[in-house]
Formats: sequence, C-alpha cells, structure tokens
Amino acid sequence: MAETYVIEPDLNFIKEVGALGGEDLKKCYQCATCSVACAISPDNKPFPRKEMIAASWGLKDKLVNSSDIWLCHNCGDCSTRCPREAKPADVLAAVRSYTVENYAQPKILAKALKDPKKLPILLAIPAVFFLVVGLITGLLDFTPDLSEGIKHWKFFSTWLVDMTMLPAAIFAAAVFALGLKRFLGDIHQNALNEGKTNKEKIEIPGFIQALVKVIPTILLHRKFTECTENKDREIAHLLTMWGFIGLFIVTSIFFVVMYGSYLLPSGALHGPWSQLNPVKWLANISGVALIVGTSLLIKNRLSKKDQVSRYFDWYLVYLAFGLGVTGMGAQLTRLADWAFISFATYYVHLILVWALFAYLPFSKLAHLVYRTVAMAYNEYAGRNF
Amino acid sequence: MDKKYGVYICEGCGIGEAVDIETLSDVAKEEGLAVKTCPILCGKEGVELLNKDIADEGVNTLIIAACSRRVLYDVFRFDGCIVDRVNLREGVIWTHPRSTYPAPTEEQKDDETFIDHVQMMAEDYLKMGMARVEKIELPEPYLLETLNKKILVIGGGISGISAAIDAAKTGYDVTIVEKEASLGGNAKNWRKQLPGAYPYDGLIPPAIESKIDELESYSSITVKTETEVARIAGEPGDFTVTLKKPGEKTEFDVPFPLPDEMKLDDKGNELDAEKLHEAFMEYNKGKQDILTLDPNGEKFGAIILAAGWRPYEPEEGEFGHLGYGTIADVVTNHQFEEIAAAGKIVRPSDGKEARSVVFIQSPGQGDDKDFAYSGAVTSLVALKQAKYLREDYDDGKSYVFYQHMRTVGLTENFYKNIQQDPGIFLTKGEVTSVSQNGGGLIVEADNTLLGEKIQVKADMVVLATGMVPVTKDDPVVNLAYRQGPGFRDNALFDDYADSNFICFPYETQRTGIYAAGAIRRSMTVEETMEDASGAALKAIQCLESVNRGVSVHPRSGDMTFPDFFFQRCTQCKRCTEECPFGAIDDDEKGTPKPNPARCRRCGTCMGCCPERIINFSDYSIDSIGSMVKAIGVPSEDDYDEPPLRILGLVCENDAYPALDIAALNRLAYSADVRLIPVRCLGSVNVIWIKDALAQGMDGVFLLGCKHGDDYQCHFVKGSELADIRMKKIGDALSSLALEEERVAQFQVAIDEYDKLPQIIDDFVASVEEMGPNPFKGF
Repeated sequence: MAETYVIEPDLNFIKEVGALGGEDLKKCYQCATCSVACAISPDNKPFPRKEMIAASWGLKDKLVNSSDIWLCHNCGDCSTRCPREAKPADVLAAVRSYTVENYAQPKILAKALKDPKKLPILLAIPAVFFLVVGLITGLLDFTPDLSEGIKHWKFFSTWLVDMTMLPAAIFAAAVFALGLKRFLGDIHQNALNEGKTNKEKIEIPGFIQALVKVIPTILLHRKFTECTENKDREIAHLLTMWGFIGLFIVTSIFFVVMYGSYLLPSGALHGPWSQLNPVKWLANISGVALIVGTSLLIKNRLSKKDQVSRYFDWYLVYLAFGLGVTGMGAQLTRLADWAFISFATYYVHLILVWALFAYLPFSKLAHLVYRTVAMAYNEYAGRNF
Repeated sequence: MDKKYGVYICEGCGIGEAVDIETLSDVAKEEGLAVKTCPILCGKEGVELLNKDIADEGVNTLIIAACSRRVLYDVFRFDGCIVDRVNLREGVIWTHPRSTYPAPTEEQKDDETFIDHVQMMAEDYLKMGMARVEKIELPEPYLLETLNKKILVIGGGISGISAAIDAAKTGYDVTIVEKEASLGGNAKNWRKQLPGAYPYDGLIPPAIESKIDELESYSSITVKTETEVARIAGEPGDFTVTLKKPGEKTEFDVPFPLPDEMKLDDKGNELDAEKLHEAFMEYNKGKQDILTLDPNGEKFGAIILAAGWRPYEPEEGEFGHLGYGTIADVVTNHQFEEIAAAGKIVRPSDGKEARSVVFIQSPGQGDDKDFAYSGAVTSLVALKQAKYLREDYDDGKSYVFYQHMRTVGLTENFYKNIQQDPGIFLTKGEVTSVSQNGGGLIVEADNTLLGEKIQVKADMVVLATGMVPVTKDDPVVNLAYRQGPGFRDNALFDDYADSNFICFPYETQRTGIYAAGAIRRSMTVEETMEDASGAALKAIQCLESVNRGVSVHPRSGDMTFPDFFFQRCTQCKRCTEECPFGAIDDDEKGTPKPNPARCRRCGTCMGCCPERIINFSDYSIDSIGSMVKAIGVPSEDDYDEPPLRILGLVCENDAYPALDIAALNRLAYSADVRLIPVRCLGSVNVIWIKDALAQGMDGVFLLGCKHGDDYQCHFVKGSELADIRMKKIGDALSSLALEEERVAQFQVAIDEYDKLPQIIDDFVASVEEMGPNPFKGF
C-alpha cells in the first residue's frame, strides 16, 4: 500500500492550468465517466478521473510527473461524455502544455513560446542570425548567378544552412536530453508511488525493447484509431506526421549525397534534383501530405467549438503548415522562374525550419518525444495500456 | 330521518352481461325495496332518474349498485341523502371474469347444484349494501360553542416569523411567543446566508432582519418575547393557552402522566381509576389537572410549532479521534459560524489567522453516516463556511471531506459555484484522525477520491454537527392531554415533530398543531420560509374545518365523529390510551372525555372498545356487523361441496384503492371472499371477526397499511393496533377449537396492487387446506 500522501495544494498551478486551457477543471465532480469513456485508458489506475481531482486540488507533482497525461491522445471522448462539461481532454492538454514548460530549460524560452507577443522576436532571431552569419562568411549572396536557372544554394549556401541548422538541432537535442533524464526519473517515481508498475528500476535494455515495441503503434496511430469522438483528426495527424517523416528522409538523403559528392571527382552535387528522381517524388508527396494534413488540423480546430485551442496549439499547427507551404512555394516559384519571390520564400522557409528545431523542446511538438517515452515506459512498466 | 329506500342497478361497463340483473333485482324486491335498473347509471338519463326519484318519490336512502365508491363520487353525491355504493364493477365483474367463473347455461339455470360464483357475489354485495344503509344515519356536525380563530406561533425564528406573516396576510390574528428577549432565532447570528433565490449560486446577507421589519408592519401580529407555553388545553378552535416567563413555575404548568410503575399498588395490581387520578395529582403536586381550564388563559384556534433547533453539542470524548474537546482549534460548525460572524477567521487557541481549514462531514470510524441531525443543510453550511475562509484570505485553503455531499434541488448551483473556487478542495473520504503538530493540526483521511491515505495540514478543523430539533427533550407544546404533554413516538422520527413525513407534511400527531421549519427536519432558511407557508395553510385549513364541524386530513370533510354511549362505559381507558391523536381525555373517575375537534375520525376508539359503545353515525359496530351478517354462507344443506366464505376487512386508505387498481388491470382473485372497506384497520372491532366465524365463515383477513418503524398507516397506529388485537384473538379462537390461522392480517402499500390477488388467493388456499369452518350451518 502506498505511503500516506501529504497534500499541499498549489493554487498557482490550478490557475496556470486554467489559463492554459483547463479552465473548466474545477467543474469535475468525480463521477469517473471520463475514465470509462476513454478507449485507451489502462484498467489499472485509469486516467483521466484521477488527473481531474489532482488538477482541481492543485497537486502539481501528481500530474507533471505522471506518464498518464502523455498516454492521452486528446481525442475528446471524455469531454463529450462529461456530465459537468469539465472537459478532461482539455485539462490534460493544458497539463501537458505546463509539463513541456516544466522540463525545458531555459525557462525564458519556454515562456516565450506561450506568448504570442514574443513570436516576432522568436522569428527575428533566425532571420537576423542568418543575415549576420551569412554576411560575415559571405555565404549569403543577394545577387546570385541565375544563368543556370534558379538555384537556391547560390543565394543561401548549403554550408550556411547546415552551419545554422545543426547548432539549433544540437541545442534541441541537449535540452531534451536534460529534460528527459528528469522526466523518466519522475514518471518512474510517480508510477512507484501510485502502484502503476511492478518494476523497481528502469533497466535500459528492457526499456529499449519496450520503445521498439511501441514504435509501430505510434507510426500506425493505433491508439488514435480507438478513439471515436475525433476520428477526423486521425487522418490529419497521420498525414502531418508522415509528411514530416518523409521530408526528414529526403533531407537526410540529400545531406548524405551532397556531402558525399564532395569526394567525387566530378565535384559536389547540388540541387535542385530532377523531378523524375524518386527521392524528389517522395519529397513532393511528403510536402503535399504535410500541407493537406496541417490544413485539416487547422480546419478541425476551427470547427470544434467545444474544444479549447490555445496559442500553444496554434503555434505548432501554423508552423507546420507554414513549413509545408513555404517549402512547396519555394519549389513552385523556382519552377515558375520567379527568382525574387522564390528566394524570399526560401528564406522564410529556412527561418521556420530553424524555429522548428530550436524551439522544439519548448513547443507542443515536444509531445513527439514525451509521448513516445511515456508510451515506451508504460509498455516497460507492464500496464495494460 | 324516515328512510325511503331505492335500489339502483347499473348495467353498464359489462355488469349487464356478466350478472343476471333480473335475479339480482329480485334480491332487493324480496326485501320489499323498489329497484330500478339503468343501462348507464352515471349517464345523463341515469342521474336524471336518480334526481327525479329523490325529488318526486322522496327517496332519501340510495343503494347504487355500480362501480367502486372511489370513482364518480361527485356524480353519485346527493346532499341530504344516505348513499351506499355497491361495488359490482371493480369488486365483482372485473376481478372475477366469466371466463374463469362461467355463467350457467340454459340447462344449468334450473340445476340446483350449479354454483354461479359471480352472481352469488353480486347478490351478497347488494345485500350488504342494503344492510348497511339500514343501520346508518346522516351525520350532523360537531360544532364548538365558541370558536376562536387566532393562531398561536411557538417560536420567533425565521420559520415562526414567516408563518406569522403568511397567516396574517390571509387575515388571521397571530400571536408569536419567543423564549428569548428578541426575535430572530438562530438566523440572526450568521455572517451570511445560503442562496435563497435564482440563480442560487452565491451567499447572500441574512434575510432575518428584513423579515423582522416586515413582521412589524402587521398590526394583526402580537409578539411576546421572553415567553413560553406553560400549557395548552382544549381542542382546535378552542385551545386555552397559559403563557409564562421562561423558567417560571405556575399552577398551570403542564402535568406529566404517571410513570408506568406508579400505576400499580403494593401488590402489583393496577390501581382503579380514582386511585390512579389521586396518584397522578400527587405526582403533579402544585399543578392543576388537565381538565381544569386556566381562567386567565388565552384562547387560540390553531397552533404552529416553529420552535426550531439548537446546535448539536458533542458529549465529552464523543469525537475524541477528531480532537474535539482536546484540541482547541477543533470546533463545531456552529462555533465556526460564531467566529466568522465576529470577524476574520482566527484560531480559538491563539487568535492567529486560520488560513487552512478542514471541514469534516462524517465522524467516520468505519461508518459512512454523517453527524447526527445533519443533512443537506450541513453539507451546504460546510460549503458556505469554506467560502468564508476564501473571502478572508487570498491564499486560504478550505478542505471538505464528506461521505455525502447533499446539495438538493437548485442548491446544486451553489455547489457548482463553490467548486469553482481554486482554494476549495472537495473529496469523499473518511477522516481517521486529527492531531496536533507543533502550531498546527494534521488531518489524516482514508479512502479519498485522491485514492490513498492522505494528510492535510490545517490551522483549524470544523465538524459538521447537526441541528437538533428542540422536541428532542422538551415537549414545547406542553399539551394538557391525558396522553401527555408532547408528541408520542417521536423517537420514530429521530425526535423531530412529525406524524407521517411523506404523506402528511406539517402534521403532528396532535390535531390543530402544525410544525414548520427545522423542528420538522433540518432545512435552509429558504426551505423554512416555504415550510412556514405550508404550516400556516394547514393551521388555517384546520380552523376552516373545525368551524364547519368536519374532519381535517386525511378524512377531510368527514362530518361524523365518535359518539359515546356513556351509560355502558366501564372506564377501561382503552380509548384514551389507544387514540393515536390523544383526542380523548378522561376525568377523575376514568370516564372518557372526547374532544371531537382533536379527532381525525379513524375509528381506533371504536375498534378498541370492548363494550362497543363508540360509534359513528355512518360507520358503526352495528353497520359493519350487519354487513357481515348479510353475507350468505352456503353450507352442506345447500351444496354437496359448498364454496368457502372468507371475509376481508380492507383499509380504505391504501388497500382498497390498490384493489381498485388491481381491478382496473383485470387481475382476478378468488370469488370466495367478501370485502368490506374500513376506515382504518385500527377501527376493526374483534366482534366482527367473531360474528363472521360464528356464522360459519371460514376465515377472516385484514388488509391494511404497513406498520412498524416505516409505517404507512394514515392514522399512525391503526394497523399496528389491529395486529396486536389479531394476535390476542388467536387465543380466543383456539378456545373455540378454531385454528388461529383462520384470521390473518396482511400489509400492503398502495403500489403493491399486483401482489394483492396472490395474497388473497394464498390465504383462501390455506383456509381451504384447514377445511370448512365446523360451525357452518349451525
């Protein structure tokens, strides 16, 4: 049996979760309809009933440290059936938003990602960064040679791209690494406290096995499939995710081929690649998937009046949409031979890519890491999720 | 009254098809009575026929053989006439279909051995109706010589004030007596009041002051503070009330009945009536007998009891595990309210600000019961007081641990609103201990919604103790009644002043005295004000019934009352003791002194009287006895295998309606029973049962309301008394070599109509097993 738990409500936590979209959390009267309605909640210590009372009592540690808030896929089945309109799905989303901020350092950046007024600054950082580095190194050429058609690398050197993007990616990875260590320790401790696991310690091999086991579930959105209320979100989210994955693959191939080609006697291979190249097909398909997927996500959020959408949500969907549109836009304007517009679009595209990388641990996209880890942990902990 | 009889048989609703109307008419004709039949008696032509006979022929005693008396009662009501309704439809044809009890074929009609159950039944019921009307008279009302319509309100709190205002608004003179020096009661000592109007979501300023102001604008309301009731004598419409200063001793202080052990002499024999009275006067030395009226007493017509509640005071060590009595910062909700009314919430121990307070709704210890005398109000008060803390301190934390959160009706809005406060934390759970920890308290709870054993640090703990009705240990009304000054059997109602909570709100077990507010059950100010209106209306209804000499609920409008034939009274006091409403007093010789205006006409006195000297004009030992005797009991002289005859005495409050519902649903039961409706099983005199068995009937059953703790008897005690009498009759039966099981009593609720046929058939079967009554045919 668990130890006696000393209650110390954090009134500010209640207010903050409320401000992050969980403003109805206090309406809950603990009937547990939500836990019954939820298709993916485990039988052992199901969510979100217990999360609802923890939230209304301001018990931050019971939520922020819990893997359960990440097991939720925010399908909204619980909110639809809640007799008090306490919207458990939104409360959990708000708690996740709070948790992302909690595990990411520096806090100032995490706070900025929740404040729409800070968006211009956040986007200005890469814009200026590109300009400064580009001008110092001479890798940014405002009068590129257009004799062989539009080539973006002649305007914005691939060296400059990687020189700016790699630090951003490394920064994100470092922030995640620091946060994740704490996160994994916390969720394990919480699981021990609440009797959600029978594992004493986290053994790395076992954990990795569990991780491998949940990857197909994630890739095929198997958990999403179990939800009923938000069915239309499943395809949108699936398209978006696969769009990103496809583009990641394309970028990786391009990266390897380009730097590899420096070893070739014929010299480095630069883009753009032929439209007939299968890699290009994948790139275009993925780009379209991203645009269509994010458009659907935006449409769904706009049409769903009973679901709370905050800036934290909008930032990510519009960023992803922007990525798709500017990426595709840069290509189309290149083909149309609109040099100035194409270069400008490309510049914007790179700003968005940088923002995606650098701000990832502070944005909603961090869920791809936390949820994956939480699901893997749950698999490892032996709960019948 | 010279009776001129007329028998009217309806042929409608299938009666004409199922019953041989001609043969049935012959039954009345043999008695020399005029018989008329009509295809639809309740139709225009039928009613015209009846009215014409009354007007032209002078018919004044009508036997209407048609449907149940519970339907079309307005159609078949003829003022100045005695009317009996013979229930052929529900009682005979609907419950005894021809498919089960076939009519004789042409050949069988002359067959002496053929038993036509349905026809026999219809004929019996007609005979019974004719027998009854012969024995009854038109009632004449009991009218008081002087009638006083003033209303006395006992208690000057919110309920008393509201009742007084409501009564005054309808034009009645009201006097309020209040023990304290000022009006207002408990309600004047609160910081805030629970919501009382739409949207029912927030606390409001106490309403008591404005209510007192409103009261002062009525010249017809007299307020007597620092006054209490010494005694109330008499009956509704004519109560003589002695008032006095609290604590004062007067000769008109109410006397108390003798304790049982003092009713015996040295040898353990019961004292005779005169000795008893002497002992009673000795026991109440210095006080006048109940029958001596205070010449200076004030006259009132009806009384509203609004004496309210007092906060529960835990006994020493009662809630030791919660620290009450040992830890100064553990208080009751009442004490907390006093602190809150005085200013900011501070700890009693050191006067420091209390920023974290735990409200406990249930004493726990393995039981999920709330504190005694609590209810929805204590739940709401906990929410109210939790809010006080939040009003006082921005960082205040209020925890409410409950087993039941009762926020009924629209007060749910209040609950919802309180729930929204970020600093108020609610959970179901059992508080296991409260202990001192340095300067603060530690509250431990188990089985909470947070799922585990939890601990909360608190500055103060508040116990949601209940509202104790003052009738718990004080009669308050101090009635100069022979049965005693208070209400009987109040323990059944947890000492609340009540008689039958569900069916008859506001009524007490004493006619003319109506309870309002927290003396009835714990309630909020809003509920109390509504309750006060109800009690005021009941008091007015009582006055407006007494002035016409008719009964109050549940026999509203009944003009009959018990009539005593005193020459044959043996002063046994059974009527005085058994009357559920204490309507009968007795004098120093033990002779009953009925107070008809206190009576609710249940007939319990008639049922208990061994001398059978108590009767009503339309309901008497003789009228029912004659109906019993009118039932034909076939013997072996008539048939080789004569059918059984079983008498059913059926309470007309719930059992008889249930039978009608069974009939409406075409539920069939044995054709061997003959049913007679009675006012209450308490009115059943055993002589009827003895008569029935003596004339050869094979069994008798009583069908009435449930008795016991959750009784449904409309007269509190009737079915219970009948049960006792039936047990005693068993001895008498065995001395006659008759099986005790030939007499049975069954309890039914009005909604158990579907069980009735089974109950009846089972009893018939058990009698059949015992065989016919050996006295048959003698």
